[in-house]
Amino acid sequence: MNLKRVAAIASKEWREILRDRLFFSLAFVVPALLMVLFGYGLSLDVENIPFAVVDQDRSAASRDYAYRFIDSRYFSFRGYAANQRDAERALAAGDVRVVLVIPPRFGQRLAQGREAGIQTLVDGTFPSRAMTTKGYVTAINAAFSLASVTQAVSRVTGMPPDDVAAQLTPIALETRYLYNQSVTSIWSLAPKLIMVILMLSPPFLTALGVVREKENGSIFNIYASNVSRGEFLAGKLLPYVAISSVNILVLWLLATLLYGVPFKGSLLFFLPATLVYVLCTTGIGLLVSVLVRTQVAAMIVTMVATMIPAVLYSGLIIPIVSLGPGARQVAELMPAMYYTDIVVGCFLKGVGLQSLWRPLLVLSLYACLLFAVGYALFSKRPKT
Amino acid sequence: MSDFLLWWRLALRRFAVMLVKELKQLGRDRVLLAFIVYAFTADIFLAASGVSLSLNHAAMLVQDMDRTPQSRELAARFAEPHFQQGGVVTRDAQGLAALDRGEAMIVLSVPPDFGKHLQKGEPVAVAMQVDTTNSVLGFLATSYAQEIVARFGLESAMRRLGLAGGAAAELPQAANEVRVWYNPNQEDSWFMGISEMLNIATVFAVLLPAAAMVREKERGTVEQLIVSPLTPFGILFPKVVSMTGVILCGVALSLFLVLMPVFAIPAKGSLALFFALSGLYVFTTAGLGLFAATIARNLAQAGMLSILILAPMLFLSGAWTPPEAMPAWLRGLMFVSPLHYYLDIAFGILLKGQGVTELLPAIMGMTAIGVGVFAFGLLLFRRQFD
Repeated sequence: MNLKRVAAIASKEWREILRDRLFFSLAFVVPALLMVLFGYGLSLDVENIPFAVVDQDRSAASRDYAYRFIDSRYFSFRGYAANQRDAERALAAGDVRVVLVIPPRFGQRLAQGREAGIQTLVDGTFPSRAMTTKGYVTAINAAFSLASVTQAVSRVTGMPPDDVAAQLTPIALETRYLYNQSVTSIWSLAPKLIMVILMLSPPFLTALGVVREKENGSIFNIYASNVSRGEFLAGKLLPYVAISSVNILVLWLLATLLYGVPFKGSLLFFLPATLVYVLCTTGIGLLVSVLVRTQVAAMIVTMVATMIPAVLYSGLIIPIVSLGPGARQVAELMPAMYYTDIVVGCFLKGVGLQSLWRPLLVLSLYACLLFAVGYALFSKRPKT
Repeated sequence: MSDFLLWWRLALRRFAVMLVKELKQLGRDRVLLAFIVYAFTADIFLAASGVSLSLNHAAMLVQDMDRTPQSRELAARFAEPHFQQGGVVTRDAQGLAALDRGEAMIVLSVPPDFGKHLQKGEPVAVAMQVDTTNSVLGFLATSYAQEIVARFGLESAMRRLGLAGGAAAELPQAANEVRVWYNPNQEDSWFMGISEMLNIATVFAVLLPAAAMVREKERGTVEQLIVSPLTPFGILFPKVVSMTGVILCGVALSLFLVLMPVFAIPAKGSLALFFALSGLYVFTTAGLGLFAATIARNLAQAGMLSILILAPMLFLSGAWTPPEAMPAWLRGLMFVSPLHYYLDIAFGILLKGQGVTELLPAIMGMTAIGVGVFAFGLLLFRRQFD
């Protein structure tokens, strides 16, 4: 490999990128803007769930029950519905996601020391949201029931209610949240956003860069020149890797400064590891560009091959353990999953090479494999 | 009058000629065509079959320093489907190491003399360490654990106090029966499958027409079109119509070959309405792509611009994250995204069985965006070549 030729190709490519002002600025603006948009918008907290109450009992107990929901920050009260029909209509229209139906004689049954039923309707269109909502409903219901039982027991035994409450809850659960003590979403989200964004933009830049020459026909200059395949690919990819390296720093700064995510690991490990990841995603772009002939196809193949797996199969929204066998295999084939371990480990857990050498090794092999396949498939003697 | 008829005949013929040209151009890109078929079938199948968003089989370790029947019973209550017992640890460091390596999500430690305290009715604390790297799951795990521990505590207290022998039916408590509508079994495959289909349709609806337009610009063939008797509308319209047709075929493919037969998605509403509105959606979204195409000079620029349009549209549509949790300025942005309305429409028709009357606000919103974007795009396109 002649380094001078590599440098020549790289400087030609760099100049071409630099002269396309809009493209050059978009190469930096897009990752940063996505980081800001997603950081604020992709909140996974389920809060302010709009709900309505159908109170057919209108007793002190039923009002007390409804107030426990109204006071909760997880629910946002949208008013009492006159009857169940109205409430169901609001649920269908998506105006409310939860409807509490308190049947007649709710308060009476409780006062008699009997169990009283309540019905909750939850909009199940988005299953994970419905799950979380169910969790909240169960917790509030349990608190109400405990208070009600406490009252009854204190009436029977004559003990003061506070003592009864202490007796009835003998076990306290002390929970320690590891790696993210405050359970704020943004801390777990921002590092993974770095992963997603570095999965989106480098392959796109690369694939378009190579296919453009193919479609324009300027690649024939390369075919006819004495530049070897390896020199061409190395020189071609160098500027894109350089742009992405700058983006790594920008994204890291946004995560730590804008979102205040603590960085517990070492930059000396994080930056080279991220570079290996960028080489992987650049390699995907290279592979796509070798396989397709038109830029349209390059754009769409890269989009579907990177963006959707980066979201679904990387642990961003859905943890890897919850994936089924088919999706699990896809996840293991993509570099994103391995890099997620590295980026989360570096930011939140503060672990380094000792615990993360395995994903790093996988990523390195992955990058080598992609480049080898890209090199093998790229030919200076095209068939057509 | 005959002039008018002639004009219409010509316009129709031009439209037909352009339509055939677009379809041929698309049909000859074999790789692209194969990929469209892949995306609408295999990719949607994978997403629908492979993903479950709920807390399942969270790996858990128990550090039991008490070893009494009570401590064992408490630990045993952390059961499937939410939790999965992963074994026993004896030392703190062992549990922490397992959490560090990601082998366990939860470590429950029961202190010595737990059973003794419980029998005497003295308060006792149980410690739980949760890996909240994924905060939603961390929350769910904690809330399930809290429920299990509270119930266990209440039952043992009632037994000890000799009240009602722990039989829950006799207690004055509220029994909340939670019913989940529209997806009673909370099948993640329904949600994942439909939303993946909408996402794929969106990707193609933005990229295909934008790419088709910019390609003409880059190669210079647009000059030929400009000097032909075609109006700007006559150039843009067949492009969008042909791509809309292709995408609707893709949607039909995924609905009839994947989603309905394999995952038993009910399709409660009218399918004709669904396809009509899908057509409207693709048309509207294509307008956004064309908008990018008028700004961009080459495909690389168009590609970056469409990421800028697509990524926020897909991520912030309300499918992944509840709109209630977004800050107000972003929610405002969401209302100008056609996908937000299409999501309501698609889930409304397919799962809730809604009709035009219930969906009217969403349809109006989408139409308004479509008309606005197209008018603006056409204006920009016209200006470009004056």
